Amino acid sequence: MTTLALGTRRARPLISARTRKLLIGYCYLMPAALCMLATVVVPIGMAIKMSLYNDILYKPQDYRFIGLGNYFRLAADPVFWLSLWNSCVWVFGSVALQFVFGFAAALLLNQAFRGRALVRTLTLLPWIIPGVVVGLIWEWLYQPNYGVINDLLIKAGWLHDRIAWLSTPDLAMAAVVFTNVWRGIPFFTIMLLAGLQAVPAELYEAAHVDGASVFGRFRHITLPLLRPIIVVATATRIIWTFNYADLIFVMTNGGPANATQITSTYTLLQAYSNLDFGYAGALSVVLLLVMLVFTAAYLRITRGVEEIA
Amino acid sequence: MMRRRPSAGLAERLLAGPVLWGGLVLLTAFALGPFIWMLLTSLKDHQELYATPLEYLPRHPTLENYVDAWTSPVTPFSRFFFNSLWVCSVTMVATTAVSVLAGYAIARFRFAGRDALLLIFLATQMFPSVLLIAPLLTQWRALGLIDTYQALIYSNFSFTVPFTVWMMVGYFSSIPRDLEESAMIDGCNHFGALCRIVLPLAAPGIAATAIFAFVVSWSELLFAISFTTETDMRTLSAGLLYMVGQYEVQWGPLSAGVIMSTVPVAVLFTFLQRHLIHGLTAGAVKG
Amino acid sequence: MDERWLLSRRKFLHTLAGSGVIAAGDLAWWEAPLLAPRKAFAAEPVRFQFSVPEPTRITLVTSLVQRFNQSQKDFEVKVEFVPQAQARQKLISAVSAGSPPDVCQIWDNWIGQFQGMGAVEDLTSRVKSWKHRDDVQDTAWQTVSAGNAIVSMPLALTLDGIFYRTDRLRELGLKEPTPDWTWDDFLRIAQAFTKASENRYGYGMRGAGTWSVLYPSEFAYANGAAVLKDGKLAINSKEAVDALSWYLDLALKHKVTPPSAATDGFVEIVETFGRGITSMYQHNSGSVGQQKKNVGAANFATVPLPVGPAKKRASFYFSETLTMFKAGRNKEGAWQFVSFMLDDEQSLMYNKTLGLLPPRKSIISKPDFADDPALRGFIASFPFAIVSPYLAYPGWGGRIDSDGVPLIQQAILGKISPQECLDRFAAVLKQEMT
Repeated sequence: MTTLALGTRRARPLISARTRKLLIGYCYLMPAALCMLATVVVPIGMAIKMSLYNDILYKPQDYRFIGLGNYFRLAADPVFWLSLWNSCVWVFGSVALQFVFGFAAALLLNQAFRGRALVRTLTLLPWIIPGVVVGLIWEWLYQPNYGVINDLLIKAGWLHDRIAWLSTPDLAMAAVVFTNVWRGIPFFTIMLLAGLQAVPAELYEAAHVDGASVFGRFRHITLPLLRPIIVVATATRIIWTFNYADLIFVMTNGGPANATQITSTYTLLQAYSNLDFGYAGALSVVLLLVMLVFTAAYLRITRGVEEIA
Repeated sequence: MMRRRPSAGLAERLLAGPVLWGGLVLLTAFALGPFIWMLLTSLKDHQELYATPLEYLPRHPTLENYVDAWTSPVTPFSRFFFNSLWVCSVTMVATTAVSVLAGYAIARFRFAGRDALLLIFLATQMFPSVLLIAPLLTQWRALGLIDTYQALIYSNFSFTVPFTVWMMVGYFSSIPRDLEESAMIDGCNHFGALCRIVLPLAAPGIAATAIFAFVVSWSELLFAISFTTETDMRTLSAGLLYMVGQYEVQWGPLSAGVIMSTVPVAVLFTFLQRHLIHGLTAGAVKG
Repeated sequence: MDERWLLSRRKFLHTLAGSGVIAAGDLAWWEAPLLAPRKAFAAEPVRFQFSVPEPTRITLVTSLVQRFNQSQKDFEVKVEFVPQAQARQKLISAVSAGSPPDVCQIWDNWIGQFQGMGAVEDLTSRVKSWKHRDDVQDTAWQTVSAGNAIVSMPLALTLDGIFYRTDRLRELGLKEPTPDWTWDDFLRIAQAFTKASENRYGYGMRGAGTWSVLYPSEFAYANGAAVLKDGKLAINSKEAVDALSWYLDLALKHKVTPPSAATDGFVEIVETFGRGITSMYQHNSGSVGQQKKNVGAANFATVPLPVGPAKKRASFYFSETLTMFKAGRNKEGAWQFVSFMLDDEQSLMYNKTLGLLPPRKSIISKPDFADDPALRGFIASFPFAIVSPYLAYPGWGGRIDSDGVPLIQQAILGKISPQECLDRFAAVLKQEMT
């Protein structure tokens, strides 16, 4: 029996088993915590500090502590509230559709059929390209005058007039959500496929022998066993999508007339067009708080990632 | 993995037949549609690209876009390719190692602040990466890491580690504890149980998170542009943007670049997806 | 016993492989990429950020930089290409982090903000003793001055004109517009060009990006309006509202613009003209090169902006500049490089290759520019061109993007009236007039 414990020796009565367990746990955690500290926690602290100041880069003489001034301004800013609403539409629309279709895709790819490896690889492709390039490509596809989508729809007779997908305020959000769904389905497909593969086949067979239908097996075996992964995948995805500015930035830049302006693109605008880093910091902090509250509630409702005993 | 079906009901037969095939066709068409368009575009020359009305199939297919992109001294895709490959591979390996350890600790050990820690990992992803640029830039410049692979790799950790830790927590949570406990009763310690029992069971999950770490850092753009200055150190994503000019997008070379950049990930995935097949639990669960 | 050996052999092999990988990684990490060995220079390198890296420009700039590096032995210029969308962000981050490049190529409407940050190097004294100072057009100096100080060097100049399809005009049996054409002529030609059923439109209106606000502004000047009159904001005067009304009617009433106008940016208006979907568009000379490739040099020409009801017109100058930063480490070297780029041969090469106009009078009168029909419209616009009025306050640049563009988009879509659009924009601009 080889013992390769991290630094602790066996059978030393000095450290109790319980403490040793704790130490091991912390040791395992340390590399991850260090990564986080250096690359994220410190910058977040700096941003919080930034939000408490009047920090407009081209007016350095006006730099001063204003406490919650940026936050009051935020509360009175109609574009901010619009962007928050847009963010919700963007996030929940995208993630719900990505989840549903991703799950369907995972179930399909879980079956055995010839060429499965190839199909799995092909369905991963939308995820691979950088978001900015996806935005460019789809912007080209949506172009009313020389884009493929209008061309095909008109040729198929489903459309008479060209639709300006990204220039019509009512359609623009739907269009960018659709692109985001295209891009994000592989995420759920892979995550759920891995989860599905970990479900032991015997459980299905036993249930089948007991007379359970396909849907019954799905409800009583698949879903419960996949619950931790579903929760983790959707929670992470929701958070990522809240912050995901690339697609909208490239495709519509928040337009037309703020129809697709989400809070993270609004933050970008404030930071890099208006050079108002104080306000941008406040926007990020507020977004962070909104997401924290949401996540805490979400995890509580779905009972988090408690183990299967 | 073939499952023996004692008898197939109607619903089952429907699902295994038309629904399965119909679904697969739809899925592949949907995922591939834009790629097929990109592929066709990459084979067209400049005249055909700008023709109206739209032409789909290139009448004189040419490989000049690919050759230009790969061999061009000003946008050396071969170099970008190598840079991306290296940075993403290292990110993938390091991230997976770190998150397996952390994920196991969080999933298995109950300790004070466990839930808070989980939430903190999640919270670090809630911050727009754009605002991270300035502080990170200061850090890397102070450490002399501009134009090195290290700056990119470390910066990639900021978004790969949190979510891979979460993923691993999820996967480890869905593995029943009994197996490790029985191994430890037999005399193993935690690390041994981790290596010999849990890792093989969690192989699909680990493969999935490795793929993710790779894919997400492959498409990462902002850090690559911000922390490198030499063209020779640019990654593939940054290189693709070189085709986006001030007044026009060079669709020919850009689509060639896009197609080229999908190849290594597809290859990697073809290898790794074998591990998404799981067959080791047979008989492992007692009772 | 056997089992233990098996395990440790495997472990041993794994460790070997692992350390091999780590060793290789170590080498790769610490060594710079496999470039030619670096020369030892007497002085610090000059870092030059160039912000529009498309292949034509990259080749051009790389060769110019190489030429410079070969011409002297004291230091080298290292050029960094940053995609345009990220160039501004990167500069801002670099300036905030205290490590900007020594010199960068940016547009004049970015300078105001960097100037406000106190980051830009004052070049007044250097320019005073520069040999070509008097050869540069006055308006060019105006675009790079802040008060009496010269803060940047104009690299290329351009102003707005109208591109139009000569072959289509011939097909329709219409005469080409004269340089003095009026708004009515413009509308007439746009309507003649428009056949919505055939996916053809007369005028590619811009709805996205800073210039979606500036183009209608230029039309407003033709109606006698101005952005600032005697230092007071006059952007929502009656003349301005009428002009905007006429401009928006192109989209709303006469429908000579494509349906995507509200979100069309630079790339779209250039591409739709290039594909023959629109037959006119407004832009500066920068897209001349592309249109020669897309549409064919024989099939298009340019003409100045049309004269408005007030018998006036204006075209906004703007310049591409080379700007030096105070915190740069080798300012002497940077200045040497800047003067090099503005010397006869380099200036000619740069501007000719890119379809831009050199800021120096002696160069622009050369046949390469004076005799090119595609540049004719722009050169004919110099007499009435003015410096963009929006450069007056540093805060205005960002406001155009964050507030002006959405307002114009709403107006193009017909959701708000021209009066409301300009009133709200005026309110925003006023806030920044401190």
